[in-house]
Amino acid sequence: MKRFSVLVYPYLIWALVMIAVPMLMILLYAFTKDGNGVRDFIFTLDNFSKFFSDPVFLEVLKRSLYIAVVTTVICVILGYPAAYLIAKAKPRASATLVLAITLPTWINMLVRTYAWRSILQSNGIINHILSMFGIGPVKMLETSFAVILGMVYNFIPFMILQIYNSLAKMDESYLTAAADLGANKVQAFLKVTLPLSVPGIVSGITLVFLPAVSSFFIPKLLGGGQYVLIGNVIENQFLTAGNWNFGSAISLIMAIIIIISMQVTRYIDNRINPEGGN
Amino acid sequence: MKKIIALATALALALTACTSGTGSEGTKQTAENNTIKFYNWGEYIGDNVIQRFEKEYNAKVVCEYYDSNEMMYTKLQAGDKYDVLIPSDYMIERLLNEDMLQPLDLEAIPNMNGIKDDMKNREYDPENKYSAPFFCGTVGIVYNKKNVSKEDIEKQGWNILKDERYKDKIYMYDSERDSFMVALKSLGYSMNTDNPEEITEAFNWLTEQKELVSPVYVTDEVIDAMATPGGDKDLAVVYSGDASYILRANEDMAYITPDQGTNIWSDAMVIPKNAENPELANKFINFMLEDESAEDDTLTVGYTTSNKNVYEKMIAEGGEFNGNEAYTIRTGFSKDEIFHDNEELRSRLSELWIKVKA
Repeated sequence: MKRFSVLVYPYLIWALVMIAVPMLMILLYAFTKDGNGVRDFIFTLDNFSKFFSDPVFLEVLKRSLYIAVVTTVICVILGYPAAYLIAKAKPRASATLVLAITLPTWINMLVRTYAWRSILQSNGIINHILSMFGIGPVKMLETSFAVILGMVYNFIPFMILQIYNSLAKMDESYLTAAADLGANKVQAFLKVTLPLSVPGIVSGITLVFLPAVSSFFIPKLLGGGQYVLIGNVIENQFLTAGNWNFGSAISLIMAIIIIISMQVTRYIDNRINPEGGN
Repeated sequence: MKKIIALATALALALTACTSGTGSEGTKQTAENNTIKFYNWGEYIGDNVIQRFEKEYNAKVVCEYYDSNEMMYTKLQAGDKYDVLIPSDYMIERLLNEDMLQPLDLEAIPNMNGIKDDMKNREYDPENKYSAPFFCGTVGIVYNKKNVSKEDIEKQGWNILKDERYKDKIYMYDSERDSFMVALKSLGYSMNTDNPEEITEAFNWLTEQKELVSPVYVTDEVIDAMATPGGDKDLAVVYSGDASYILRANEDMAYITPDQGTNIWSDAMVIPKNAENPELANKFINFMLEDESAEDDTLTVGYTTSNKNVYEKMIAEGGEFNGNEAYTIRTGFSKDEIFHDNEELRSRLSELWIKVKA
């Protein structure tokens, strides 16, 4: 057995080169200033004070967190029943449903988001249908509604699949036992199914919250550039402002916020599910 | 400890593997010297040009696309190698200042002679030693003739973009350079100003505009949005080339360059210093300047060509762009300006711009 542990090293190297080194570069850039050269460093905290002393950036941060939280909550509310139905369906039906959920993710995210533009715009499909009933045109594109819709649409498969996995793994005999002990269906769901699916919800939340808080092309395409989120600021710093140091500092701040929020969800998970394996 | 040694050995192995990998790739490149890497704007070339070049020269063209000069510059700076680029004037100026371009081999590019006189020898490269002009144009306003009167727009110029009557009806171009140009010109300043007070005024102009008319900030989406009849926007800041495309597609639209002056720009083909196949790159540039390629480019993309013959054919009676006011761009107007590169200013504007939008 011990001989095989050597097989882990290629992975370790991969992780080191592809994950650790870029992270360290971000760390280095965040605490230095001047230019994109890596030869001479001047250490500074200016990048951070610049971020926290400017109400505009704090407002953007607040807005990003707000939109990410709303997206995540909607994904849980819509995703849980969907996952539950898939898990309770007959094996063949549930396999088809899982395929149906994953199918859209095979198409490039950018393309799918572009499609929403033509669906939502004022001479688009929805407004066309509404106009037959004499309503509208309703302005949907370039609003925060469009941004959240785009995010929920793009990220909900991650939520559904995570919850589905934890529900599908659940041992049905727990429910029989609950029924034996006199629990009705609602009680059995609340006392057995829901707690057992919390790990799925938690990893779903992580998988949705992370991309939602840092997405930059969804607000750009569907928000009409009026809903600048923190991802747009980072993109702007790297691609047009050319200030990699400030961009790295914001990335680092985001990373810290994300780590904290993951710890919080994990803590909640542990409280609900003390003996949960993960 | 053992683990660390094993890891270090493995790492060393991986590194040697990497270097030998690039080595063999390098020799492969020189062995078959018929590939060029072409880094261009998206949707900026004729449909058949690349195919024809590949066939004629038995070559392969690897295309990559950028959507801003700055993005292209970032990639170059990160060490990516390309053989041909088509940056804008100010970016060529900057690449020249940083010694990142190599001179063109003019003997291999006889078609330079067919370039329109007014596009030759512009300030960024006074003798056209490093760059071969490709497209040129202005920045102006596309407006819906049904809902906006020409007199109104002539009277107000750029200020019409702040007119509350057109609330929710306006597209701005999502780039700090073009937006600040609009604001500075409408205030009567130079678009190349580095006077902090003038810049602050322009910043206020843009934030005020956002409050008054809540414009939508777009880039290339503007083309389709304005070209499709029945769209919900009446005014849009666009490049003249995109405008001529829009005007061809949607007859409700018209184009105007305000009398307060505008940015007059040009894009030209250049070869970076670290190009791996400059010989073929020069041939490619020559090929791009041929009449047939230039005609394909201008018809597909809609931008004003640098090729004299093709230009005259396009605007002549029966030509595709006859009477298209966005194609025949104005030249020699004293208030029009060429944008000059100023890294510090650009970085400051970029940051102000994200604040306008936020």
